[in-house]
Amino acid sequence: MNRVNEHTSEEKMETNPTPKNRRGRRAYVALAAGAGLFLTGCASNAPQDIFQPKGPNANDINNLQKLVFPIAGVVGVIVLGLATYIFLKFKDRGQPIPAQAHGKPIVEITLTVIPALILTVCGVFTFRTIFDLAKTSDTQMVINVTGQQWWWEYDYPAQEEFGIKTPIITSGQLVLPVGTKVLLRETSRDVIHSYWIPALNGKKDAVPGRINLLRLEADKPGIYAGQCTEFCGLSHANMRMEAVALSKEDFAKWVANQQAAYTKPAAGTLAAEGETVFLNQCVRCHQVNGQKKADGTAVIAAPDENVYAGAAPNLSHLMSRNTFAGAMFDLLSKSCRDDVWKAKPEEFGAKYLKGVTSECLNESQLRAWLRNAPAQKPMYADPTKLMPTNGKYRGMPALGLTETDIDKLVAYLLTLK
Amino acid sequence: MFSSGSKYLLGISGLSLVAAIVYAFTVNPSDLGVIAILGLMVAAGLLVGIGLKNNDGDAATIEEAVAAATEAPRDSAWPAVFALGLALTAVGLATVPVVFLLGIVALVAGGAEWLITNWADRASVDRRYNNDVVRVKTIGPLEYPVAAAVVLGVVAYLFSRVMLTVSKETAPIVFIAVGTVVLVIGFLAGTRPSFRGKPLVASISVVVLALVVAGVTTGIQGERAELAEASAGDFYDASHRECGAEESEHFDHHAGNTVNLRASVLATVFVKDGKAYAELIGMPKPTDTITIARSNAVNILFRNLDEKEYRMVMHLGEAKVGTTGTVEKVETCTQLAGKNQEQLLTVTIPKPSAAFKDGYSIEVPGAEGVIKVMVP
Repeated sequence: MNRVNEHTSEEKMETNPTPKNRRGRRAYVALAAGAGLFLTGCASNAPQDIFQPKGPNANDINNLQKLVFPIAGVVGVIVLGLATYIFLKFKDRGQPIPAQAHGKPIVEITLTVIPALILTVCGVFTFRTIFDLAKTSDTQMVINVTGQQWWWEYDYPAQEEFGIKTPIITSGQLVLPVGTKVLLRETSRDVIHSYWIPALNGKKDAVPGRINLLRLEADKPGIYAGQCTEFCGLSHANMRMEAVALSKEDFAKWVANQQAAYTKPAAGTLAAEGETVFLNQCVRCHQVNGQKKADGTAVIAAPDENVYAGAAPNLSHLMSRNTFAGAMFDLLSKSCRDDVWKAKPEEFGAKYLKGVTSECLNESQLRAWLRNAPAQKPMYADPTKLMPTNGKYRGMPALGLTETDIDKLVAYLLTLK
Repeated sequence: MFSSGSKYLLGISGLSLVAAIVYAFTVNPSDLGVIAILGLMVAAGLLVGIGLKNNDGDAATIEEAVAAATEAPRDSAWPAVFALGLALTAVGLATVPVVFLLGIVALVAGGAEWLITNWADRASVDRRYNNDVVRVKTIGPLEYPVAAAVVLGVVAYLFSRVMLTVSKETAPIVFIAVGTVVLVIGFLAGTRPSFRGKPLVASISVVVLALVVAGVTTGIQGERAELAEASAGDFYDASHRECGAEESEHFDHHAGNTVNLRASVLATVFVKDGKAYAELIGMPKPTDTITIARSNAVNILFRNLDEKEYRMVMHLGEAKVGTTGTVEKVETCTQLAGKNQEQLLTVTIPKPSAAFKDGYSIEVPGAEGVIKVMVP
């Protein structure tokens, strides 16, 4: 009988843990979560790791944190250790209250002077870094960056020294020459966004009506990932960007390609039919520079009439980029993408400049996007909910294209090299 | 504790709360209906408070109540105001919204005053008590601030008519004169007790009368010529027609010296030694090309470094005008700026340069050099 009772009581213990057991379990869970979090720091594939600078500006920030974090860590450990010791040592156990003393000048002065000295040392280095990062007098190249829901537009003003005779416009990927001090002039067309390529510099807000400056410089050719860091609406988490650093020679080739004239698809081809679909559907928002109407006048897209921000990505030379839809999706298939991303610096330029070929196209994703864009990326594209924006879309709506139209469009877009 | 009327109102308030909760759970918590029902709850609660405060206006005895009820209410102008409100509302529905709005205001004010006055008049047989205690305590806290706001509004409106009609040179003198009169009256009222009675009322009456006469007269006369012309000429229209090198009769009267804006300037256009050029943030060399992102408001600063006065003109392509479809050039410009003076233009260009044969450009009439504006 007793056995039975004991057994029952053990079972009870299992099913109804005591507060002590519960605390123990919670401690294990917290420890496991903490360890997991700690181990994420060991990830080798972390393109947005702030501790792996790839340019002098990010390096300045890294050097600063190398100084400040250890100091902060030591101070933190001392403060927390002393606090824990005091909590335990002087815990209320019913002992009489000790004699109360009011102030001790030596202790107070010491505890004021030491933090002041620590802050002064940190402050000197911090201010120096801030001023270094804000410097614009040594700028070699200027690029205008405009944020909108949920993609980035880059336009390159005419700069003869880099062969940019007429402004270049692109989106998704910011292309810059290696070893060049580039100044981004950031603004926004709708809400506040924030531009951040962790490997190249800190973040900077893009604010409507203001122009904020951010220095970027890359040491080696390669692709550096980033993303918007100011909550900007439904697809904020999908507003990504990639900075592509090319050697100066490769950058000159890229510039030449971006300034190349538009090539109309050969008559009678699927791509030519795709151009017609583009002119009937896509041109309401997307500009392709150089397209001409039958009367010889330029085809001008009208995003200002259809999109809340007033602009949609300019698709000139689309296939020279590796991404689309605000850099959320790759234009390259996985193997081709890996080939570019993992290329050695000396081989990177040639691989990137190949652009997107029909063999390397991430066709399934592109087709899914053309079929129903809002299903791929959350956007305010529901026609019944556009009242606050006067009927204008935020993002790309579903166009109701047929599969045949999509075939034609894909063929046409592949010609935009 | 609770009188009959208060109990009913309390019941309405309580039921409204229940209804709001049920509505919120069954329909939508953020629906306008919930706000409306909660509004009813608050209004009924307010009336409970008023009822309790005045004991529902109940007379102390049945005899008193009968006597008060049989007493005819005092003469009142509020029914007339209410009727005027009805008429204005009806006319406003068929004519202009302002009349409709005035009608609604008269309806609400007249109706509320009429109801409260009538109700207070039947509170007791003591008419003075009814008016000074019951009526004033009930509606006084609302009546005085509203009346003060209306009077202040009328005074401000009439005074603004005067200031918009007199010339720019006379306006400061009028302002100082009015301020002096107010100060003198205030000083006398504060220092001379003998002034605080009829002399004060008489002085204020004279000032108010003068203000009404001046306001009405100047209101009929209309704004001074330059303001009237600026309004007629669509002062803020981007296609302003007075963008030549010569001084505009009205447009150039408002030029300032400097612009307190530095963080949001895309480019600065200078005139120096009769030549125009631009400088961009981060680009060390002067340039003759500015690149502007499409559909984005940008600020372009103009700074004149020469002795001669100049203005900056921005050519923004062409647009169809009116219903005839006539195509005209679109341009916008700053006012004339003297030496070391600054002006700012804020522009949004929705179409790329390729949309127009000549693209976009900036020039300074009378100075050499054209700055090309590229919108990719």
